[in-house]
Amino acid sequence: MAVSETSLPLADAPTATARAKVFPVVPVALLAPMMLVNLIAFILPVAQLVRISFLEGSGGVLTDTTTIGNYVDFLTDAYYLSMIWNSVLLAFVVTVLTLLCAYPIAMFLHTVSPRWRNLLFVMTISPLLVSSVVRTYGWMVLLGDQGLVNNMLVGMGLIASPLRLVNNTLGVVIGLVEILMPYMALSLIAGFGRLDASLSEAAASLGAGRLSRFRRVTLPLTLPGVALGCLLCFVLSISSFITPKLLGGGRVFLLATEIYDQAVIQLEWPLAATISVAVLVLFGFALAVYSNVVRRFD
Amino acid sequence: MTLAQRTLDPRPAHSAPAARPERGHLRLEGVTKRFAGDVNAVSDVNLDLERGKLLGLLGPSGCGKTTTLRMIAGLLPITSGRILVDDDDISLRPPHQRDFGLVFQNYALFPHMTVAENVAFGLDMRRVPKAEARRRVAEALELVRLPGYGERKPREMSGGQQQRVALARALVINPRILLLDEPLSNLDAKLRDEMRREIREIQQRLGITTVFVTHDQVEALTMCDVVGVMSGGRLAQIGTPEDIYERPASLFVADFVGRTNILDCEVLNGHRVRLGDGVYSCAATTIRPGKAKVAIRPHRINLTPHRDRALLSTSTNSAEGRVLRTTYVGDIVQYDIDIGGPTLQVETPTHGRGLAVAVGDKLLCEWRPDDMLVFER
Ligand SMILES: Nc1ncnc2c1ncn2[C@@H]1O[C@H](COP(=O)(O)OP(=O)(O)OP(=O)(O)O)[C@@H](O)[C@H]1O
Ligand SMILES: [Mg+2]
Repeated sequence: MAVSETSLPLADAPTATARAKVFPVVPVALLAPMMLVNLIAFILPVAQLVRISFLEGSGGVLTDTTTIGNYVDFLTDAYYLSMIWNSVLLAFVVTVLTLLCAYPIAMFLHTVSPRWRNLLFVMTISPLLVSSVVRTYGWMVLLGDQGLVNNMLVGMGLIASPLRLVNNTLGVVIGLVEILMPYMALSLIAGFGRLDASLSEAAASLGAGRLSRFRRVTLPLTLPGVALGCLLCFVLSISSFITPKLLGGGRVFLLATEIYDQAVIQLEWPLAATISVAVLVLFGFALAVYSNVVRRFD
Repeated sequence: MTLAQRTLDPRPAHSAPAARPERGHLRLEGVTKRFAGDVNAVSDVNLDLERGKLLGLLGPSGCGKTTTLRMIAGLLPITSGRILVDDDDISLRPPHQRDFGLVFQNYALFPHMTVAENVAFGLDMRRVPKAEARRRVAEALELVRLPGYGERKPREMSGGQQQRVALARALVINPRILLLDEPLSNLDAKLRDEMRREIREIQQRLGITTVFVTHDQVEALTMCDVVGVMSGGRLAQIGTPEDIYERPASLFVADFVGRTNILDCEVLNGHRVRLGDGVYSCAATTIRPGKAKVAIRPHRINLTPHRDRALLSTSTNSAEGRVLRTTYVGDIVQYDIDIGGPTLQVETPTHGRGLAVAVGDKLLCEWRPDDMLVFER
């Protein structure tokens, strides 16, 4: 027994290293198409973006002069600094609200009988079937001064004059939370999939009440799903620009809308590229936080 | 390592979890569970389990063992009936107020906590001071022979070790009643045997009232003070292992517990039956004359060579038979013997030379009337 234990790995060792040195043909062949698509559709454009952000340009004309002036301008402008702050804050608030709205849904879907689960699951993610532009217009109709919400509140006599629910940050938050909810719900449901019902029962038998069970068992075990959902929502909310544009009514200034304005309306490509790179850096931070959280719980 | 430790060291004395023989009397009165869809998963289960006894709930898959256990634990609301502990009706009490230790078939250890944190969970919930909790966790881990494993994560342990952690976690809170749902079914035969002994020993040392669900009849017979055999949601019989094995109350129990020959017969009167061509004495029965079934354990049938006939006592049934098949199992040999109509399965232990029997040989089968039990069809 002891002999076989010590001799086996020795006998195996040469073959193992030899195997590792062989070029992994199959994995590379399988990955090649995706790598090619990524190269053309992602790596190259981003590289181009970074290059443009270091070019000087004026009035829609790109020159060949390299400069870090775009970054200096961007990072010393109080207007842009507050815009970064506002975008991060908005994305944070939207993420937290989305989480608070979606977590109970995911939890309910986890406990409901399998007969209903599939139907309810499809209903939860069905908003994805409708374009977010259409849903945003829907919110404009609902939240406007003469919209359903205000008409109802006024009609019930709860308020005297319509609330300002749209064309401001509130409108953007409401719209984004609804639009991002399916993504959050999907991530959370994936997280709940790892949760065995008997764990909660075991905790109950050990004397844990409802709240303790949630705090000590359910929440920690679903945290990877929470982290994934938050990452997705944060990134999507920073990069969304249709909803802030339409529901912000031109009064909410965020990084994504600014990139659009600078690139398409002002034709200031270097500045637009610079802001894009700044957003990419933000995403990098978010990703770092995410992987930190996930590593701690896995 | 565990093994070496066990054989070398005398077991250290444990102060806690302390034995609590003064509590843990469990009574079920007409406990019934009906799930949506009008099937009674458990019907009218009555039992009375004395303090410190180990009850084995035995039965085929789907007979309602887990459902019964979950109702006792409070994880399933009961449809009707009452559950009492120490004459205290706990039927409506939520599980976290019942103070029962529960071990699940899949162990249900918290994967995000270390072994020590798992075991300490119940103590945390009871707000036991940190220092005392640490001491009790260490003692509980020692009790299940896992000292020093506290810092591991459950996934870094083998199935048997996880099972023992689950046991320690359930025992450390000093529960009124310990409930185990097929805790050994994921283990290999040797480890299962070892764990059976360990669980039984710990249970007896702590004097803790325990309900043990199993579908393994050997487990039920060897470990338990009382065995309850369930069938189709009902308690078919409850009694000592000997009662269950020697005096099964129904054909189902006779068939389910241990191997047995079940044969068609015709009752002639209160103590005689016709089986194939022969008429035999049977255990006293109240079944009216007519078609019925008899049960005879294969190892209660004695085989003798034909020529020894003169030695037979008159109080013993005997039948002449022809060997149809022999199967060597290791500790026993099984023979299928045609006794003129029905085929009897007979088992004899293999000790040294034994009987030299070949297919086609003629032999004499003998069995006592008491081993021939008659049941309704
Ligand atoms: N949640 C439920 N809803 C409906 N029926 C159920 C439910 N749980 C169990 N049952 C039914 O109740 C019966 C008893 O189930 P139970 O799990 O108690 O069986 P068991 O004796 O533990 O079987 P096994 O040995 O396979 O674990 C089965 O017929 C099962 O289909
Ligand atoms: Mg079961």
